[in-house]
Amino acid sequence: MKKKYCFDLDGTITSQEILPIMAAELDLYDEISALTKATINGLITFEQSFKLRCRLLSNIPIEKVQEIADNIKLNKAIVQFIKKNNDNCCVITGNIYEWIKPIIKKLDCEIFCSKGKFADGKLVSLEKILNKGEVVKKIRKRNDLIISVGDGMGDVLMFEESDLSIAFGGVHEPIETLLKVSNYLVYDEVSLCRLLKTL
Amino acid sequence: MSIVKNAIISAAGMGTRLGLNMPKCLLKFNGISIIEHQLNLLKDIDSVRVIVGFMEEDVIREVKFFRKDAIFVRNPDYQKTSNTYSISLANNNLREPHILLDGDLLINKKSFNDFVNSIHKKNSLVGITKASTDDAVYVKLNKKNSITSFSRKNKSEYEWSGIAFLNGITINKKKPYLYQTLENHLPLQAKYIECSEIDTADDLKRAQHLWPRYFTK
Repeated sequence: MKKKYCFDLDGTITSQEILPIMAAELDLYDEISALTKATINGLITFEQSFKLRCRLLSNIPIEKVQEIADNIKLNKAIVQFIKKNNDNCCVITGNIYEWIKPIIKKLDCEIFCSKGKFADGKLVSLEKILNKGEVVKKIRKRNDLIISVGDGMGDVLMFEESDLSIAFGGVHEPIETLLKVSNYLVYDEVSLCRLLKTL
Repeated sequence: MSIVKNAIISAAGMGTRLGLNMPKCLLKFNGISIIEHQLNLLKDIDSVRVIVGFMEEDVIREVKFFRKDAIFVRNPDYQKTSNTYSISLANNNLREPHILLDGDLLINKKSFNDFVNSIHKKNSLVGITKASTDDAVYVKLNKKNSITSFSRKNKSEYEWSGIAFLNGITINKKKPYLYQTLENHLPLQAKYIECSEIDTADDLKRAQHLWPRYFTK
């Protein structure tokens, strides 16, 4: 039986939320925290929020963004699980590949992410915003069992299309909508890996 | 080091026969909830799975406070499904031996430890207790203290307790009662365990007098 473990990145594989750290480093804290609040309270959609986030980060040289990404702390047990089972694991993230390249290199597995157009080392425009549910539909043809792990609103569609899903509360409490479509809830990364091994 | 590495607590039910608007595992005696009491019994066991359904947020909050590494197994269909179905969700993909507890049981600590210490070569072991409940599942024992049959009609001194150590037994979610799966694995070794199930208002009244027997440190 071919299994696929699909991981969200931000707050699941990373033990710190990527965006607030970038915001603080890039002196965009007020702007990004207003955006985050509006998204959490449902005033704007994830897609609208993501477009605005890209606008805010578009003036920053990509090397600078990557340098920050390289220092983001990761959940060690989860990284270890992915590296050990890299053929059966993938990361599904709304982030643009170029931003998170240093993290992906550390994981050594398949990645699905949003696409941006770059010129002179800066983001010029967004080419495609990833729909996580569509990714699961796409990989279903070559897998018998799809297991998803995530924590936020962006993961709801991924959970709905998966066979089994785990809400992970290692960094913050998983949002309620996600919990309602999940099969499991875990707060500890070692327990998460233990559960993954049995599925 | 405990020979047992895994445990499952079934705490998804609505406890309709008791008629309190709360999950039975959150009932408190002397300030200690049943689930806290059970997690305390299981503190040396590496991995605990708690099945949640009815008022899941409340159960999750309580469990997380005492055991942050618990794995919560959700049964969103708790209203339409049986306790056996709930247990199957946690049991069916756990391919390792495990202790199983109903979340509405008060269990004597010494007796529980005796039960765990009686697990031999990882053979399945079924907890039995003095028959006392209204809808008891009676057990018939042979000379070797193995269960040879379960019955609701044929009364005997002991009943199935809701506590077991299972190895290689996959719970059949289609059967309404758990003992109906155990029947396919007979004879099963039995071990006496002092415990009290809270199903009805009478059980609760009794437990309010009995709790000091179970909650000793």
